[in-house]
Amino acid sequence: MKTWPTWHSGVTALASIASIAMATLMVGCGDQSPKSAKQDASGALASTATSPVQSVDGKKVVRNVFVAGESGFDPPTAHDLYSSIVVDGIFDTLLTYDYLAEPARLVPKIVTEMPVAEENGTLYTVKLKKGVYFSPHEVFGGKKRELVAQDVVYSMMRHFDDSIKPVWRFLIDGKIVGMNAWYDAGKKAGKLDWDAKIPGLEVVDSHTLKIKLTKPDFNMGYVMAHPAMGIVAREVIEKYPNDAQSHPVGSSAYYLKEWTRGQKMVLERNPYWRGGTWDFKPSGKDPHDEVIVKQMQGKPLALIDRVEIYVIEEEQTRWLSFKDKQIDLMNIPGGVTPQALPGGKLAADLIAEGIRLQKMVDPEYTYMYFQWNDPIWGGTETHKVALRRAVAMAIDRDEEITVIRKGQAIRADFLVPPGVVGAKEDFVSSIQYNPKLANALLDKFGYKKGADGYRTTPDGKPLTFKYTSQSTALEREFDELYRKNMEAIGIRYEAEKEKFADSLKREKRCQIQTRGAAWIADYPDGDNFVQLLYSKNIGESNNGCYKSAVFDKLYEQSTLLPAGAERDKLYMEMQKQFEADTPWVMGVTRLRNQVIRPWVIGYKKHPVLLAEWMYYDVNMSKGK
Amino acid sequence: MLAYIVRRLWQIIPTLLGVILLIFFLFNVVGGDPAYLLAGKISNPEQIANIRKQLGIDEPYYVQLWIFVKQVVTFDFGSSWSTNEAVSSIFATRLPASLMIGIPLLILETVIAVVIALGVAYLRGSFTDRAAMITCTVAQSVSILVYIIIFQYVLAYKFGWFPVQGWGNGFFENLFKFAALPILIALVVSLAPNIRLYRTFLLDETNQDYVRTARAKGLSENRVMFVHVLRNASIPIITNLMIQLPGLLVGLFLIERFFSVPGIGREVILAVERSDFPVIKAITVYVALATMLANLAADLLYKAVDPRVELK
Repeated sequence: MKTWPTWHSGVTALASIASIAMATLMVGCGDQSPKSAKQDASGALASTATSPVQSVDGKKVVRNVFVAGESGFDPPTAHDLYSSIVVDGIFDTLLTYDYLAEPARLVPKIVTEMPVAEENGTLYTVKLKKGVYFSPHEVFGGKKRELVAQDVVYSMMRHFDDSIKPVWRFLIDGKIVGMNAWYDAGKKAGKLDWDAKIPGLEVVDSHTLKIKLTKPDFNMGYVMAHPAMGIVAREVIEKYPNDAQSHPVGSSAYYLKEWTRGQKMVLERNPYWRGGTWDFKPSGKDPHDEVIVKQMQGKPLALIDRVEIYVIEEEQTRWLSFKDKQIDLMNIPGGVTPQALPGGKLAADLIAEGIRLQKMVDPEYTYMYFQWNDPIWGGTETHKVALRRAVAMAIDRDEEITVIRKGQAIRADFLVPPGVVGAKEDFVSSIQYNPKLANALLDKFGYKKGADGYRTTPDGKPLTFKYTSQSTALEREFDELYRKNMEAIGIRYEAEKEKFADSLKREKRCQIQTRGAAWIADYPDGDNFVQLLYSKNIGESNNGCYKSAVFDKLYEQSTLLPAGAERDKLYMEMQKQFEADTPWVMGVTRLRNQVIRPWVIGYKKHPVLLAEWMYYDVNMSKGK
Repeated sequence: MLAYIVRRLWQIIPTLLGVILLIFFLFNVVGGDPAYLLAGKISNPEQIANIRKQLGIDEPYYVQLWIFVKQVVTFDFGSSWSTNEAVSSIFATRLPASLMIGIPLLILETVIAVVIALGVAYLRGSFTDRAAMITCTVAQSVSILVYIIIFQYVLAYKFGWFPVQGWGNGFFENLFKFAALPILIALVVSLAPNIRLYRTFLLDETNQDYVRTARAKGLSENRVMFVHVLRNASIPIITNLMIQLPGLLVGLFLIERFFSVPGIGREVILAVERSDFPVIKAITVYVALATMLANLAADLLYKAVDPRVELK
């Protein structure tokens, strides 16, 4: 998932600075409330603390926070992270992820068993559980409406309905036999035929579906677990033809009870929730997993009755709300991190309140691409490769991590980030920060310095590193860093500012010289990352427009293989080709610091799952 | 009077046409293409083209402009491109929260500022006057952000007198619980400039001959200040008040954002960031209309306050 830039006006940037100043005061003055929980030997909380929410009817309530507003809750159109989280809580997908396994592992959600890739990865047979019901809605006429195989088919077909502006079509585009032909026919006719039979989606019986693919795809399981593949009921969608996103009706643990747009969402447990038992094993990588298993094993799933989500955009407000016990768990805002996590550890006043810290590495990285079509910066000629590599050696990622990221990131070296299948976590890139060597490389390949101290191209043309970004406080910090790094190797730096929409437009046309980007896993498999450099994805996800026949061939071979040693070998070859060409400068992988109140038990932020509400519990005080 | 009002209402039409042309030009030149934002993370040119078609921005400019004119005439601006929510619903659901802060604020700031301004104008040159003016100057120099951050931290979080953030469902709950601190902060911010401004208006009047005459006739100071001076100074005060009225429609962005108030200010900023043209169009047209109507109302009030004013 691409991380859209945080939108800041100049005013809000100033607000951030002021908030950080206040954050220092806030943590320094931190409430020294009496301890409400004891810590066990492993540092985990054997909590007896209860939520301050006075639940009159004894319902269990958890209070979450979103840092930006949602847009709507229709699976194919939910284009922002926060809408997708709610979608994930409301709609069922065929598969989901094991709550504790590291790296993330697929498990059945509404299927009786994991579908096996048959016929060399081109056929998946899906058997649905019986007794999966949509939450009540008037359109069902007061009857319980069971989820059946045809609902899965209809939900997939909706990704081809242009009228709703679907954003996740790429997950299945061109992959299912007959789907694109059906779409093309519908386009030609001016109307999609929703009753048509798609050859690749064969409904064997009400609870069995065969999915036939156009070519081998061993990642189809990840697609089946993606929130965008949430299963809807056709009757509901047809009742709200232009506004399905305001009327989400799914079959998962929760349904949307209240919604004040951009301010508050309340979800309650689906009255027809099918139930289930909490049964997960510790990952073996996180000691707190043992505590979670001890707290939750054998309990019913979806113990929380009510999920309240508040949209709080300002860091100070969010942090004060958490400190004021209005929010039960949240990510520590960036501006507060140095004070909340002095030396990387939770501040004493927060520990005293029984607050627990969970650190995790997001399945993502940032990178900076060079435009492959640029006459100065792109291409395979040796002097151009040298130029890109020199820049890659001049960018000081350690300073970025220390100063800009406040220590909350790690260097990204490999094309597949940590926690993602195919990652090589001990890999060290051959391209490391070394401005001295970068200068020598530029000297050797004829990038001579002029009287003004700046270099020119080997044929004497001006040489400028033009970096495109938005006018945000964060990007200005990057401008300062990159300017300093470029001047250290005698390259003139130019910061080009424009609206994000304009950057996207030019990027798709291969018109941006250099830009920073980020990629968060849609699914935790290396394929989701290495495809960023595949030349057939130019204009889509290959935003530097990199073209390499060698890389393409390796990529195509990798897509035909399931995860494993053979595919990992290909990924290593791709990495070598990537470093040889240096079409990007690798960036960082960001860390997430979650703080959790002691009355929230069994909680662990999953690297891929968006909504974890059904897997944890809250200790409630007795209602008045 | 009626002819005057009709004439002024007619003048709204060409002004509004100018506003329409300006917004349309700005959106198409510097607005950014929303299709790229709405297309999601991986999209191809065909999908982008489909979105542009859905939004109607692939139509010739004259067609898009005509649609805009029709929307203004019918007051139906369609739905948000970003959330698909009807623009009318955005206003209906967000405006009440903004008004709940804006209206009490406008009333309180006007009453308090006028009373204080009368006091300091009466005591012109005294220690109290100077102290008040220095305080106002200092208060005016401090950014609203500082007020928000400190008041929220101290009064809401530390002392617990107000909620840190939030908004409820009940009118009185919102007014007296959730809107109280936002109103207080906005009041503190707006009082200083208003006191200084109104003091100037009042001092202009206190130097007039009629004031000296009133005093010579033995009228009490209260009568001189509250009846004669205030009445004559009310025209610029009304002007200032009317200028602020259209601002109610755009809310108080920072206050709404910091206190999680579901107001219109936040929606306006989001619409600009997302190139959400239907919302931008609606808010701009409404503010332009409100400004013109407020100006008309101000002129009519001048006449009511001072019968010597002629409406031509």
